[in-house]
Amino acid sequence: MMMEIKNILVPTNGGGADEEVIELACSLARKSKAKVYAVYIIEVERSLSLDTQVDSETEKAEKILTHAEDAAVDADYEIETDLLQARDAGPAIVNEAVERKIDLIIMATTYKKAPGIPELGKAVYYVLKEAPCRVLLYRDSIS
Amino acid sequence: MGTDWHPKLGDKFVRRPRAKAHPLRRALGVFGLFSAGYGNVGSSIYYALGLVALIAFGATPVVLLIAGIFFIFTALSYAEGTAMMPEAGGSASFARHGFNDLFASVAGWALAFSYIVTIAISAYTAPAYLGYFWQPLAEPVAGTFVAMGIIFFLMCLNIIGVKESSILNTFFALLDVITQIIIILLAILFIFAPHPEIFSHNVIGNWPSASGLILGIAIATLAYTGVDTISQLSEETRRPTITAPRAMILMIVVVMILFSGISVAAFSTMTPIEMASEWARDPIAGIAQGLSIAIVPEEIAAGLSSNPAGIIVITAFFGGILKLLPILVAVLATTILIIATNAGLMGISRLTFALGRFQLIPLTLSKVHHKFRTPYKPIILFSLVATLLLIPGFFAPNTFVILGGLYVFGCLFSFSMAHASILRLRIKHPELPRPFKIRGNIKIRGYDLPLTAILGVAFTSAVWLAVVITQPYARWVGFGWMAFGLIVYFAFRYRKRLPLIHSAQEVKLPVD
Repeated sequence: MMMEIKNILVPTNGGGADEEVIELACSLARKSKAKVYAVYIIEVERSLSLDTQVDSETEKAEKILTHAEDAAVDADYEIETDLLQARDAGPAIVNEAVERKIDLIIMATTYKKAPGIPELGKAVYYVLKEAPCRVLLYRDSIS
Repeated sequence: MGTDWHPKLGDKFVRRPRAKAHPLRRALGVFGLFSAGYGNVGSSIYYALGLVALIAFGATPVVLLIAGIFFIFTALSYAEGTAMMPEAGGSASFARHGFNDLFASVAGWALAFSYIVTIAISAYTAPAYLGYFWQPLAEPVAGTFVAMGIIFFLMCLNIIGVKESSILNTFFALLDVITQIIIILLAILFIFAPHPEIFSHNVIGNWPSASGLILGIAIATLAYTGVDTISQLSEETRRPTITAPRAMILMIVVVMILFSGISVAAFSTMTPIEMASEWARDPIAGIAQGLSIAIVPEEIAAGLSSNPAGIIVITAFFGGILKLLPILVAVLATTILIIATNAGLMGISRLTFALGRFQLIPLTLSKVHHKFRTPYKPIILFSLVATLLLIPGFFAPNTFVILGGLYVFGCLFSFSMAHASILRLRIKHPELPRPFKIRGNIKIRGYDLPLTAILGVAFTSAVWLAVVITQPYARWVGFGWMAFGLIVYFAFRYRKRLPLIHSAQEVKLPVD
């Protein structure tokens, strides 16, 4: 049975795979006319109040989200973008998935060459463990 | 999706508004961008031709050609600048990167002035075309009233917020190109080709004086109003570094072909004196009318076919076109001129958005309305100035020339700033990536400088100077406006303790 997708969440991180993930999300969404939400989470240090606006981080986030919007325009699909601040990205992504009734999270991850098992990052592990919906992990090519 | 997940006690999230609460959506492709640009440049032929004929008489096609060559140079400079810095602001943005904020402010106020005059002049000429349906509208006093009404109506519409439709722009651009091609083909095939002596007599027999020729070249730049539209829209364009130069080149080619053809059509159907006296405000209507009188469908039919049935069909076909043409021109020109008036108002919104972001004008001017989400203050202020510029229309018979001079003052200043900034950027930042780089460079002190920009800055400055010297109204109103702009700029920068000359930080625009 084909799963029905109405809402897709794409957490962006500014990595090289962001554009491909947005294109993938758009192509998956197109069939069922699903909504695509791209989100960027600024992780705020615990020494600062959560609503502190760190200009350099906000500027970086704006650029990443604008890039995601551009990728969606190139894919000829409309997306919504959101900018969140949290202590950790993982819970923020899962919370966003619950609030927006997300059916599928597509997450880009970069394979970091390290001894032992691949290091995917704290947020990916959290989402894989806690997200109530389906999660699709997209690894950027090593080159 | 059922879930038992709940955030833990420490898990708190803050949703931040995006910096551009209403980001300019990147939706325009090459054709959408061309249509918007052509809508602005192409509309100017509906009034520029008559205005140029008032001054340059028989030399109108020649001065349009000379101005056209420099239009190509200007468009090339805009293409290089836009591909390098795809952001709203046009020459003000180029000057900010090439020189400093003071230069950017001067360029920005000059550009704003040319937008205001575009609003005034487009609104002023629209009723003249409507005169085909109701003659009193073509009279200056009634026409001025209607023009003011058009500006007021569009001002209200822009405050409430209208969505610029790319599809509508494309439709009218296409319809306009087709109509002009029909006019050109009819004139060339049935009047110019069999009687080329009419055209040459009209041109050579009505040659202007040297001063008329120079001023004619200056005023002819009016025909190329809106060359910066594509640059202003670059933030709403897909892949602007590639799309903007392509749209610009497409626009150059189409505009040059159509303007040359229309000049030939004009003086094949009427004398320069007729155009300057009877059809100055609605020259294309004059051409359509001239074609209807000069072309006899029965003669064409007899020349094309010997079959009686064929003669009837061809007569009916050409008769229909010639009857429809003046009506089509009247409706199309009015619509396009109203769209051009609106484009001026929208250009003002985009420009103030850019100037506010660079802290070149007080932020309060760029604030968007809390309900309508539009920059209502500059829309009201600039509409009011455009309305004031129309006041001479009630009593001065040469209002049209006055408006033309004012436009040339603002736009040529802005164009020379654009050329100078491109040259300065080649010296200051030769290492910056240039997705579109003008060819034909010459090496001066080791720097690659585009010849077209050098010639462009020399030509636009010289012509601007000629207008300043010969047009007292343009001189005083233009300098008055620029002085007002500089006072506002310095007062704002001084109050905010911002550098008076050097660049200030880019800021987010507040909501009222």
